[in-house]
Amino acid sequence: MRARYGRRVLRRVAGAAATLALTIAALLVVTFALSSLSPIDPAIRLVGDHASAASYQQARRDLGLDRPWPVQFARYVSQVLRGNLGTSSSTGQPVRDDLAKVFPATLELATLAMLISAAVGLAFGLLGAWRPGGLTDGVIRILSLAGNSIPIFWLGLLALYLFYAHLHWTGGPGRLDDAFEYTIDRSTGLVLIDTWRSGVPGAFVNAITHLILPVLVLAANAIGNIARLTRAALLNESAREYVILARAKGAGEARVLFAHILPNASGAAVTVLALSYARLLEGAVLTETVFAWPGLGRYLTTALFAADVPAILGGTLVIGVCFVVLNRCADLLARAVDPRIL
Amino acid sequence: MQCRLASILAGLLLSGVGVAAGVPGTLVVVQSLDDIVSLDPAEGFELSSESVFTSLYQRLVQSDPDKPGALRATLASDWQPGADGQSLVFTLRAGATFAGGHAVRPEDVVFSLQRAVRLNRSPAFILNELGWTADNVAGFIVKTDDGHVRVSWPARVGTAFVLNVLSSTVASIVDALEADRHQVNNDSGNGWLHTHSEGSGPFRMRRYIPHEALVMDANPRAPLGAPLLKTVVIKNVADAASRRLLVEVGDADIARDLGPDQIAALRGKPDLRVFESPSASVHYLLFNGSNNAKPVLKNPALWEAARWLIDYDGIAGKLLKGQYLVHQAFLAHGFPGALDTTPYHLDVPKAREILAKAGIAPGTAITLDVFNQPPFNEIAQSLQATFAQGGIRLQILPGVASEVYGKTRTRTEEAVWLYWIPDYYDAHSTASAFALNREDGTQSIAWRAGWHIAKLSAQTIAAVEERDPAARIRDYEAIQAEVQRSSPFVIALQERTELVMRSNVKGYRQGLTAEMVYYDRVTR
Repeated sequence: MRARYGRRVLRRVAGAAATLALTIAALLVVTFALSSLSPIDPAIRLVGDHASAASYQQARRDLGLDRPWPVQFARYVSQVLRGNLGTSSSTGQPVRDDLAKVFPATLELATLAMLISAAVGLAFGLLGAWRPGGLTDGVIRILSLAGNSIPIFWLGLLALYLFYAHLHWTGGPGRLDDAFEYTIDRSTGLVLIDTWRSGVPGAFVNAITHLILPVLVLAANAIGNIARLTRAALLNESAREYVILARAKGAGEARVLFAHILPNASGAAVTVLALSYARLLEGAVLTETVFAWPGLGRYLTTALFAADVPAILGGTLVIGVCFVVLNRCADLLARAVDPRIL
Repeated sequence: MQCRLASILAGLLLSGVGVAAGVPGTLVVVQSLDDIVSLDPAEGFELSSESVFTSLYQRLVQSDPDKPGALRATLASDWQPGADGQSLVFTLRAGATFAGGHAVRPEDVVFSLQRAVRLNRSPAFILNELGWTADNVAGFIVKTDDGHVRVSWPARVGTAFVLNVLSSTVASIVDALEADRHQVNNDSGNGWLHTHSEGSGPFRMRRYIPHEALVMDANPRAPLGAPLLKTVVIKNVADAASRRLLVEVGDADIARDLGPDQIAALRGKPDLRVFESPSASVHYLLFNGSNNAKPVLKNPALWEAARWLIDYDGIAGKLLKGQYLVHQAFLAHGFPGALDTTPYHLDVPKAREILAKAGIAPGTAITLDVFNQPPFNEIAQSLQATFAQGGIRLQILPGVASEVYGKTRTRTEEAVWLYWIPDYYDAHSTASAFALNREDGTQSIAWRAGWHIAKLSAQTIAAVEERDPAARIRDYEAIQAEVQRSSPFVIALQERTELVMRSNVKGYRQGLTAEMVYYDRVTR
């Protein structure tokens, strides 16, 4: 019995590892092919338009662009397998170092936004499903729709104008005020932890004031998604026979919702949360641009405009790993909370 | 722990959150830094990197911030032309040191100039103008004694031109001892200097975080005197609207690259002022005469008609709200020898007459490549409208900059709207682009346009060889007049630098070209 269980676990681990490897491989092939098809010439981006033909050719050689793209790709893959993600042509730094700097910034922003959007989104979903079609449901649906459809760029600028420039309630663009920005050791890259550990008076508070707006703007968009999908999952369950039976047996609405519907809809809710988190981690490009937040989204966008292939591939790799790991975690959690899922 | 929590709570309650009072002695500049490829002066050639090189490094001679067009001795205290007319002997400034503390030696000058040529990165072509190559440069830059360096050149150019070339940022003097110390795989310290400075400028790089910020501290040992500020922080804020808010609130002292509407909104605010100075950037329309698929592109009648089909005043005044000036010659206003005549204006009937006389049928279609960003989109739309009135259908093809440049380098476009910024402060930099086609594939703009100009090319070469400054200026005026009269380029606009600064910022100076950005006399 124990041996069979062990084999099952091993099979699952091997399956997860194979999924991860295949996903990453497919991602890299597609991203590399798309980068190669891009009309942007990375050599011109590097040397500029005025450079001589010799400098231009030298840049092409340095970037490995003088070789056919399958050869470039094979070279890149062999580097990656040795733990080397290459050097970014737009920063001049190893991509691994760049990612180690930018990913914590996005991780911090996305995690805080996720916590808020999960709490608010789930609550909205529950409230909406409590009495579908009622006033509360209507208001929540409008808010969810607004959160989803208001352009994040516009919302960010509006929030900055109102709360930073006009009311002076929050910090402005950037992760810290200049008084702290370049004096605090950023060993973890997470501004809350680094400022807390620094013990510099005012730094931690300052970090919070700078986080408030980007976190809320990012969360606003995710809340809409989570609320709508949670509500839909709950309503879907509420039409099932076991719910009708529970009601027929005289169970109150609260008991029906919390004791019967919610546990059965929790698998879907977990998946929604995991996918939302993955989307936030993927890089909140616009939020990071408006709030001058040096995260993965900004890094990838800049790399894309510069046709900086090693940086694009490195960023894609991180996002791919996040997606696969979060998906896998969501599967495991969904199985844990809902035994019907195999 | 309790104490820290209490202080945080107190901070949250009591702090005036969000409004960072300016740090004394620190200037905060917000702009986009995304274009920086390298901060090694032998490699960096982007607008943002050029704009800090003057703060971090010095050349033997540099443009005088107070007298545009004049050179002043910087790391050299004096220079003497050789009797052969092909050499200069520089006396190094006595007691000059690098920010790190090492004395500036003739070896550093020899190392820096030879290194820039041998590395052969993008700005190396500027030094190649003197005939220096990786193979021969060792013989042309030599130490003569502990205080002198002799610079000679095989190219037939005058000393005024050589001094201008040596004032460009690629000729910055680097601390050879430090560059050697940080050498990896014989890179002459190139990797290290990507993100560190080893120069003698008024500032020293404390920290550079790519795509995030560049922090420079005052160099108290600066040979021409320590700066008045303690620190300059240049922050990468990619979004112009956010830059506007930062300067408006007071969290930034200077905001660069704001749009015309943003400048207009901030103009007249009590705590702010708009700094304006001409830039050397000129915008022009190019017809690619080497595109054999469309013979009309090499027809001088089309070039002439195009000159009358641009709404110069409308674009500069109404569309771009004063951020550009009407300028119709390739040397920007402010450059010695610049031609300031503006003979062309929008005249549709005249253009139609020229086209009809030349047999160019109404409805002729031409594709126009432009950068997919402001103000190029707006300019292209204006061109499309006025050319349509003249009977030419312009089909706009927006693209990212390197894509558009890629087409012009391979001469596959039909027409393109571009801008030109001189690579160094000498008329030859621009004249050799617009009025010199060596017919050998050298990537001049004239070559890219397929413009065959043996006579004009000879004139351009003669101008750079001319040793009499007054005669040189006359030569360039004549060349500009010819390009203005008939060429596949319609030069239309000159950019004007506009930046917004807090009104307590004093002493900021900026010149025509990208490297002429001076923070050393700034106070706030």
